[in-house]
Amino acid sequence: MPEVEARYRKKRLDRGIKARADTIFAIASYREILYLLLPRALPVILLLVLPLMLKGYWGKVLIYSCMVGLLALSWDFLACCGLFSLGQALFFGLGAYVAGILSYYLHWPPILTIPAAILGGGLLSAILLSPVLRLRGVYFAMVTLMMPLLFMKMIETTGLVGGSHGLSSLAPFPNEWVARYLAVGAFLLVLFIFRRMINEDYGLVLKAIRDDDRAVMSAAINIYWRKTQALFVAGAVGAFAGAFMTHHYQFVGMSVFALDYSILPLAASALGGPGTFAGPALGSMILVPLSEALRALGGLRIAIYCFILILSVIGLPEGIFHYIERKYHQFERLVRVG
Amino acid sequence: MSLLIYGTISSIVLALYAVGFSLTYGISGLANFAHGALYILSGFIAWSFLNQAELPYFLSAILSIVISGFIGFAIYWGLLLRVRGIPLAEIVVTFAAGVAILELLTWKGFYGIQYSLPLFVEGGIEIGEVAVDYQRLFVIGTGLVLVILLYLFVHYTKIGLAFRGMAQNERTALSVGIESDWIGSLSLAFGSALAGVAAIVILPMGLMESAIGYEVIIYALAVAIVGGLESTPGIIVASFILGFGQVATAKFLSAKWMIIVPLVAIIFVLVIRPSGLFGKFKELEERI
Amino acid sequence: MCLILLAMLIGISCSVIFIPASSRSAEPIIVGVPTSIYTPFGRDGLKAVNMAVEEINAKGGVLVGKEKRPLKVVVTDTRDGEPTTPVHDALMAYEKLILEQKPHATVIAPFRSETIIASMDLVAKYKVPQLHTIAQTPQFQAKFRTDPEKYKYLFRVGTDAAIDAGYISGALDALKTDFGLNRIYFIPQDTLWALGFIGILRKHCEKTGWQEIGYEPYAAGATDFSPGLTKAKEGKAQVIAMVWDVPLGAGIFSKQWAAMKVPSLVVGFVPPMAAADAWKTLGKNIEYSIQVEFPVGSSLALKKLPKTVGFLDKFKKEFGKLPEGAATISSSYDAVYILAQAIERAGSLDPDKLVSALEQTDYKGVGGRLRFNKDHIIVFDSNPEETGVCVVFQWKKGERVPVYPAFLAEGKIELPPWMK
Repeated sequence: MPEVEARYRKKRLDRGIKARADTIFAIASYREILYLLLPRALPVILLLVLPLMLKGYWGKVLIYSCMVGLLALSWDFLACCGLFSLGQALFFGLGAYVAGILSYYLHWPPILTIPAAILGGGLLSAILLSPVLRLRGVYFAMVTLMMPLLFMKMIETTGLVGGSHGLSSLAPFPNEWVARYLAVGAFLLVLFIFRRMINEDYGLVLKAIRDDDRAVMSAAINIYWRKTQALFVAGAVGAFAGAFMTHHYQFVGMSVFALDYSILPLAASALGGPGTFAGPALGSMILVPLSEALRALGGLRIAIYCFILILSVIGLPEGIFHYIERKYHQFERLVRVG
Repeated sequence: MSLLIYGTISSIVLALYAVGFSLTYGISGLANFAHGALYILSGFIAWSFLNQAELPYFLSAILSIVISGFIGFAIYWGLLLRVRGIPLAEIVVTFAAGVAILELLTWKGFYGIQYSLPLFVEGGIEIGEVAVDYQRLFVIGTGLVLVILLYLFVHYTKIGLAFRGMAQNERTALSVGIESDWIGSLSLAFGSALAGVAAIVILPMGLMESAIGYEVIIYALAVAIVGGLESTPGIIVASFILGFGQVATAKFLSAKWMIIVPLVAIIFVLVIRPSGLFGKFKELEERI
Repeated sequence: MCLILLAMLIGISCSVIFIPASSRSAEPIIVGVPTSIYTPFGRDGLKAVNMAVEEINAKGGVLVGKEKRPLKVVVTDTRDGEPTTPVHDALMAYEKLILEQKPHATVIAPFRSETIIASMDLVAKYKVPQLHTIAQTPQFQAKFRTDPEKYKYLFRVGTDAAIDAGYISGALDALKTDFGLNRIYFIPQDTLWALGFIGILRKHCEKTGWQEIGYEPYAAGATDFSPGLTKAKEGKAQVIAMVWDVPLGAGIFSKQWAAMKVPSLVVGFVPPMAAADAWKTLGKNIEYSIQVEFPVGSSLALKKLPKTVGFLDKFKKEFGKLPEGAATISSSYDAVYILAQAIERAGSLDPDKLVSALEQTDYKGVGGRLRFNKDHIIVFDSNPEETGVCVVFQWKKGERVPVYPAFLAEGKIELPPWMK
């Protein structure tokens, strides 16, 4: 028989502890309980403790990461529904301006403007984007890409609501701790809610719309209404981020619609792994501090940032979170074939 | 009269921005969002050859176009090949590459008033009462020639037809012997070279700065979408609509509103007729 | 493979955080420069600041109380010279500078007027004296007056749009009386300070009998001025008053104006047309255009003011060429000296004492005699022995000739031959 070159394939097996921690055996011993609990509890504990540990500037970075994380979560929520949005800045900006306008002209305190911005921002985004819900795939993405730009130019041109110099000296938060814990709390809350929601009936219908919308239509479910609801939820989350940043910086200007706020959540999701909400959250927690740390490099910052983004999308298309999850649950072996 | 002439010039400029982008995105189905960056990069390459290597203008221009083509080729092999088929990843990767190029150019110090390409020929003619310089006439000529050439290329040459085949149905194209990797990289190379041609012709009319890169990609996208992704006559019609729209807005309303025109046009077209004015009406694929 | 590269890149970037700040051997006085480094004004302003710091350190430093301490410059790029940068981003960079490098004062400060106004609250919160030199918006004083005690840490070394407009108004008056011109077209950049500038010019022209052919603000990112230029040409405007600071648009405007052969004189502030090597880049097309430089000494050496000659010679010797930004550069240089003198007067680096000392500034610098008024801005008028001064110049035969005010003029305003 002629010599055949040995070939190998990767064989993945669940780890022993994973097999043992499935179903009722999860409470068999502390090892299994910890195996399941630690990956979920550690990040939460870490995030709750970090505001106490970080000083000054890095505390601000934590808040910014949570905001980008919220935008990334809202992106992922829309993606679970089949709506690829390249315009998270729209939600961010709408929320920021609603809060800014209420604070500047009516002098409402943050405790009133933020809920108003959440509702208002969500409603506005749903209303603005509902005419284009019929579009699929790349076309919807294009519209979302153009909307924030349009708003930015409109504000600059008409000079309304502060025009190009924005509204400044808005009411701040009572103190730094309120701001930090509000940011972290909102982030964790939204993460938890989305992760639960996507596995309940409501979320399952949304995922079905992503997979095959005609099938869902033929099941007599009104997919446009569902998509509008999804837009409202995602818009509300994005609007919270915008309103929060407005009060945190005491300023809102037309640059809240900048491309940065659309690209950053997208990059965070691409890095972290779209599909599971933990991925975008993880991605934003990595990307934002990284981007801030890179400020030391001055002009090269954005270039290196882009390189990292490209490498992560090419080298690890499934995302960091999926990779970590896979390594956590399974191990790999090379097995000889033939 | 001046409205007509300057409207035409604006429109052809937009068409030139879009021609390379359409070739890759519209006709071959490959997103190349680094188009704007490549546009400016070829301008700077030509400038470097002209001012630092002291080569004659003509030679610098040709070299920069060829180099842009190679860079486009490299982008395909290095980046797009590895993420083919995932539309979101394609857009993200090429856009990030474009931004990286623009940022590197700024970091290297390529900004300032000395970065300006000289006009081909000084002077101009008078059409009616309107002074039109030779450079702008050149722009109009090049634009029209390129679009016509593009149309002929894509409809009558083997390679051009291969581009379209690959976008329509890749499996069938493979089974007919069209190697999609090679064709894809050729398409990107041609698209980038066209960006280089546009740059050489348009940039002498102003200064060169990385910020132009962002603008070019938005205009190119606007023209491609409004005109319809796979249609070549669509490029011309869309660029005329957008170009005249802008100039008319500036004349009758106010110059401030000029930038709003392409954005509103995109949204309008996408809501009413997503395939664009001349695109094939892909009802099933684009709407639900 | 990609994974390894990715991990390496992330690792390298993270390690950058741990690079320690340079050692504090002689307890230097830290001067922060948070500005947009990739604009000519930011870049050359930074060079001027470095030059001033070197000179002061060469003499031993600044006397704080009993010991002499050197100055140290720390820079951060706010990137707000680029229109696409969000203000939040610029403020984050500024805040990072304040929190990590702990400067005792900052100079030059953000580029965009929007960012300066937004930074006022930031500076008031952290109580770091700021002497800004680039942003020209009159809104600064307006906001300052709403709460002088809160905003007392903010100073402007340099002009604002009103002052610059005043000088150009003078030039326009000369054009009217000497040559009888009376038709004018306005093209401002659609930003606060430029609109303010042109607004003042408009009022002045209305009062002095100019006929306004048109008023067209263009968005800051505009790249096509042909509609406005066509209107100017059709309306037979004799003067185009243009104020622009984004280099891209200004360059395109200059080229379009030449290409379209618009028979009007360009008057105002268009940096690429005013810079030292504009003649080389834009050619003889810019001949006869009239520009304002604020304050003096930023890029044009004036024979009647030896300090400007001295400053620019030193700059050229150290950096190889004259500043490209045609304004505000000498303010950056003067600001460092003003700060040093105020520290010596105050005898300490305590912000409140420093602020009181700064208020008493009376410094004869490159830009004239610099004194702050109660709104914390420098007074500018027409006597360099008493106040700061600016100059208006005209391009003639490849040279920039100062033409206004009279005591600085080295030549008279001339009309181009195609206008007679």
